[in-house]
Amino acid sequence: MAKLDLLQGTLDLLILKTLALGPQHGWGISQRIQQISENVLRVNQGSLYPALQRLDTAGWIESEWGASENNRQAKFYKLTKKGERQLKEETAQWERMTLAVQRILDVETT
Amino acid sequence: MWKRLNALIRHGDLDRGLNAEVRFHLEMETEKNIKLGMSPDEARLKALRSFGPMEKHKEETRDARGVSWIETLLADLRYGGRALLKHPGYALLAILTLGLGIGANTAIFSVINGVLLKPLPYEHGDRLVVVQQSRPLSGQPQVGVAIAEYFDYRERGKDVFDGLVEYHQMNFDLINRGEPDRVNTGVVSANFFDLLGIKPILGRSFVAEDDVIGAEAVLLLSHTYWRQKFGGDPNIVGQVFEMNDRPHRVIGVLPNVPHYPQENDVYMPVLACPFRARAEGQVASNRRAFGALNVFGRLKEGVSAEQAASAVGAICHTFTEDNKQVYRPETSGFRATTVPVRDALTSGARELLLILLGITGLVLLIACANVANLTLARMLGRDRELAMRTALGAGRSRLVRQLLTESTLLAVCSGIVGVAFAYGTIGMLTRFVGRFTSRTGEIGLDPMVLMFTLGVSILTGILFGTLPALGSRVDLVAALKQGGSQAGDATRRKRIQGALIVAQVAVSVMLLVGAGLLLASFFRLQRVETGYRSDGVLSAQIFGNFSRYPTIVEQRALYVPVLERIQALPGVSAAAITNAVPLGGAATPGAIRFQIEGKANDDPERLPTADVRVATPQYFATIGVPMISGRVFNDLDSEESLRVVVINKAMTKYWDGVDPVGSRIALPTAPLPGTTTPRLAWYSIVGIVGDVRQFGLAQETVAQAYVPLTQTPFGVAGQILVRTAGDPASFANQLRSTVYAVDPNQPVENIQTLDDLRSEALAAPRLTATLLGVFAALALLVTLAGIGGVIATSVQQRTKEFGLRMALGARRGSVLTMVVRQGLTLVLIGLAVGVAGALVAGRVLSAYLYQTAPRDPLIFAGVAALFVLSGIIACLIPARRATTVDPLIALRAE
Repeated sequence: MAKLDLLQGTLDLLILKTLALGPQHGWGISQRIQQISENVLRVNQGSLYPALQRLDTAGWIESEWGASENNRQAKFYKLTKKGERQLKEETAQWERMTLAVQRILDVETT
Repeated sequence: MWKRLNALIRHGDLDRGLNAEVRFHLEMETEKNIKLGMSPDEARLKALRSFGPMEKHKEETRDARGVSWIETLLADLRYGGRALLKHPGYALLAILTLGLGIGANTAIFSVINGVLLKPLPYEHGDRLVVVQQSRPLSGQPQVGVAIAEYFDYRERGKDVFDGLVEYHQMNFDLINRGEPDRVNTGVVSANFFDLLGIKPILGRSFVAEDDVIGAEAVLLLSHTYWRQKFGGDPNIVGQVFEMNDRPHRVIGVLPNVPHYPQENDVYMPVLACPFRARAEGQVASNRRAFGALNVFGRLKEGVSAEQAASAVGAICHTFTEDNKQVYRPETSGFRATTVPVRDALTSGARELLLILLGITGLVLLIACANVANLTLARMLGRDRELAMRTALGAGRSRLVRQLLTESTLLAVCSGIVGVAFAYGTIGMLTRFVGRFTSRTGEIGLDPMVLMFTLGVSILTGILFGTLPALGSRVDLVAALKQGGSQAGDATRRKRIQGALIVAQVAVSVMLLVGAGLLLASFFRLQRVETGYRSDGVLSAQIFGNFSRYPTIVEQRALYVPVLERIQALPGVSAAAITNAVPLGGAATPGAIRFQIEGKANDDPERLPTADVRVATPQYFATIGVPMISGRVFNDLDSEESLRVVVINKAMTKYWDGVDPVGSRIALPTAPLPGTTTPRLAWYSIVGIVGDVRQFGLAQETVAQAYVPLTQTPFGVAGQILVRTAGDPASFANQLRSTVYAVDPNQPVENIQTLDDLRSEALAAPRLTATLLGVFAALALLVTLAGIGGVIATSVQQRTKEFGLRMALGARRGSVLTMVVRQGLTLVLIGLAVGVAGALVAGRVLSAYLYQTAPRDPLIFAGVAALFVLSGIIACLIPARRATTVDPLIALRAE
């Protein structure tokens, strides 16, 4: 099965969700998204960084330099309070949308 | 916001951080790949590939930081500055062209701002109105308010006005430590300054107690007069000066605010003015007593201008109906309304200023079009640079933005030049506008004007930058290939250039037609037959102050000896005392009603009217007015002899072709002592003289009658006219000392030659014509340069083609014709559009034209011929280059 391209806007949601599990650096986020989605989703790894910057500017995440697992300097991102609210909102929105899409698809098949 | 600013400041730091982050990511990914069993090189390559286009991601990350537009702008500005410095000729030409355009607009706007836009500098200036009375059916557009009428408005208008005040101006002698000084005196209601919200900087303002008969006479000094005559003396309040043979005490000094409706040196309360006080006693018997007041009012809050106008109209209707025998409303149409003070002050200048703004706007458009053309021509040379930038990843919008930044930078530089230009010309403009409105004191380059300039500059930049930028779609491959550089957009650019030229020609034609019309009108006005000879005549005013020369009897005792002494001076060929100096400043002729013997008329509104002047025997000889029949005055026409009058040719119309000499007219004369009823006195017509353009060169002469000084019953504001053998101006000192010899305290004012007065009368039309002429000439030059430039570029592009044609046997003449035809086609299209535009727009000038139709075919033909000829020349110069091409070199060239 071919890997799926990420829908516009969903990357932000995935990043927020990933960071909800704990602080993580950029590479770690990309790995985790791939693991969780069981290698179905293809994230162009580089496109992660503009997204991170965007979320940072919006104040949903914040960053800090720290030591990585193999003791190297890495920039760690972490969810802010504002980010947690945003995650809830976006999750709810996502669910509403998928539900709606699902309904339409159901109608089509009957 | 803080994050964004922080990002801008720490821009370097953040970029290093991003690089480190990306490096870390790639290392981790590489390690992961190695663990999966790849070779190090392979692992690194795979990592890079899954990362995607690195610079794109970095760029997007910077964008996401949200400061990139500032960075882009700064970079664009730096780049634009460098690009302009690299082509200083282009930059200089563009900045100067636009600078002139923006400067002209800034200057005109600063005047419009100061005259039309700023609120009046008074408390509630927007609620101030002036009462205007008129007798439209008798052809009198303005009738001063009389005391009784003012009282009616004040009493019955309380519902609409917070207050109503009166104003009139007088000239009195103020004796300042022995020196007589003739001062402009504003005579005002006690609450005048309170109503305007003006508080004195020293002392106090008038109060009601100052304005009663018998009160101590008090004065307020204007700021300017206080500074100039008393050196800003802080102890001025309380000092006493003599005026009108009474002591007057200074009670205060006004702040430095503009005075309306006129600038005055001093102010006094209403009843301190002897004339006004005397007239107040006549109100009961004469409703029109002292009908020379200006009446201002401040509207109550929430009252509209229309409500006030109709309230005043209704009050006027009531008092005219109650006094029908005085106002005769059926035949005179006597009515009243109110006009906002600001409109009343500026109505004479509004239209002219808007026309000027329109014209400077057009000039700016031409300048824009020209610079756009210059920029387009320059773009030809930049094709490869732009292609290179596209190849390096700049998007189309990025390129357009870069070009727009460059043009805006250019325009803002031009704006600075423009402000300098405006600063230099604003004084001249202010004096010019001062001929049409008294509200010029607030003209200046204030923040509002600078905002306007900045706005216009940026708009200009966008305007002249957009067109070339639209042509910047780059055909990458073609442009990068050496020699293919003209392939891509040449046609489209040519079309844009052509359209720009057509627009420039059209606008220039309109301006030239306008300038041509005004110039033609000016020349006609200059050559107008005035009916008198202005050369060699000096005029001066010696108006005896009423306190020492209360009636014409005392005045004659001053004027006659002065005249006799002057006539006896060597070098004087003729001299006269009169109150009729041609073009001497009075703008409207008087309209005295008179009776013609045998044509009695009971309705005063239907009586013939004439402007009645006073003259001594040599008056007509002094200014060279020709005698047509009968005689002029002589020394035998005395107080006791038969009353005589000389009329002008225009006045003979009342006699329907019958010779008026010998017939009699009745003119108003002074009432008998102790009464106020006007009487009539009969005068015999003894002579007819030529018509004189006394009130304006463009103004057709009205009926005029001259009464000898010895027989006039009224006081005369004396004017001396002296015809001298030499330069009249050099006679001024002799004139002054002669007057002082008769009365050392008599001021001699307004010493001017009649030539100067005449030239003064031409100043406004001359300036208007010159102004428009300069703009039109500029527009023509700029447009011709534009045409030449476009043809030159096109010739350059077609070198190869011309070489080929000539190699195949085309003659020089035919190549020349071809090139010229290309340019001339544009000129002709522009000409057609411009002529159509001028036919429509010319009408706005009609108020400024004298005996010149706005569609004068000669002017249109002249402008068309001028444009075709100069257009051909502008094309020929670059076209000649096309024919000097050596076919062999041209063919090898590329």
